Amino acid sequence: MKKFLNLLLLTLLSLTTFAQGESGTNDFFKSNLKIYVVVAVLTIILSCIFIFLFSLERRLKKLEEK
Amino acid sequence: MSWLYSKWWKWLSVILLTYVVAGSFFVKLGPGITSVSPIAMYTDSVYTFQITCYHSHFTDAKAGKVQLWFKNRANYYAPLSFKTTSNETAEATFAVSALQQDSFKPASLDAVINDELDGTFALRDAITLVKATAVDSSNTALLISTEPEVKHNKHQLVCYPYREILYETIRNTFFHVPMWFAMTMLLFASLVGSIMYLVKGEERQDTLAHQAVVVALLFGVCGYLTGLIWSKYTWYIGVSWSDVVRKLLLEDIKMAAALVAMFFYLAYLILRSSIEDEAKRAKVSAVYNVFAFVIFILCVFVLPRLTDSMHPGNGGNPAFSKYDLDSTLRAFFYPAVIGWILLGFWILSVCIRLQFIQQKREV
Repeated sequence: MKKFLNLLLLTLLSLTTFAQGESGTNDFFKSNLKIYVVVAVLTIILSCIFIFLFSLERRLKKLEEK
Repeated sequence: MSWLYSKWWKWLSVILLTYVVAGSFFVKLGPGITSVSPIAMYTDSVYTFQITCYHSHFTDAKAGKVQLWFKNRANYYAPLSFKTTSNETAEATFAVSALQQDSFKPASLDAVINDELDGTFALRDAITLVKATAVDSSNTALLISTEPEVKHNKHQLVCYPYREILYETIRNTFFHVPMWFAMTMLLFASLVGSIMYLVKGEERQDTLAHQAVVVALLFGVCGYLTGLIWSKYTWYIGVSWSDVVRKLLLEDIKMAAALVAMFFYLAYLILRSSIEDEAKRAKVSAVYNVFAFVIFILCVFVLPRLTDSMHPGNGGNPAFSKYDLDSTLRAFFYPAVIGWILLGFWILSVCIRLQFIQQKREV
């Protein structure tokens, strides 16, 4: 579980560095009339909710182990 | 609290959010002009302008007569010639006489296009007029402003409005904005829980108040991060990430106030964890919660109205006036708000039920 969370965190981290790399030229997120900004927003919301659900599951697991 | 266990509203949130996400994918952006080239013109020579549009329907049977004008302030000027080359491209020739150049203030022209299907759409300051220094004569005819005659100003399509700078990101209205609505409703639920606890003294009301704050902060963080990336590519084009954060906190009152409000709720969670005695913890945090909600309302709904902000609907105007949302956006925005709020309460119900089991085990 912890491994998986770390993996998720690292993937997210790579996403932010990717965005930073683009900030100089602003090419990718500005292409196609900025549609990828919408993609990024949806990704952020979904990943936040998923991280929360995983933390919820960890609480549940602790209860089950008692 | 039987609502925790009923299922219909959870299904409602699934249906609404499916509808909203599908709508945000499949509904097109409305017609707009993306570029006019060349972007500058000298007086006294005839130019051929290539006009590139987006999602327009010039060759469609329902489009009827396609018209173009160049507009300066309230004056519309017809081009010398105009023809459409495809659904989304057109060509126009136009010239400005040097004798007339001083009447163009500011020295730029908007391009305005109308057809029966797409309605009227425009590109502001599409062409910059470069004025001649010495004017004695002119070899082009003087321009006479015309009165545009159009059948429909409004488009006859199902589409989101095309706005400069925003473009496709207008779809974020269904994702970024409802985060704050969901957060507000969850914090309101928390307030109700706290008041109920102070009145009745039941432990489960305290659990509701606590868990609602946790889930509300989840939505607050989502709202913050989505706002950050949205502003980076619209309000602050070409600004570095560190400057974006600084500008948002210093220049946008809504952002700064929301952060302050969220810190008050973070303090609520810290307060809870610092008190060992259960009854005392519940009572103290319930009283704190009432005050935190008042501060939240002041920060998010009152403070931003007092001063200017980049957010639409601030600086004295109520948000979401008729200028901010058109009918197609509304058809998805309101379901999105309800859907995200219900999803928030669904997550909340799971958290609360988990907490109930934990409390039962501990007894």
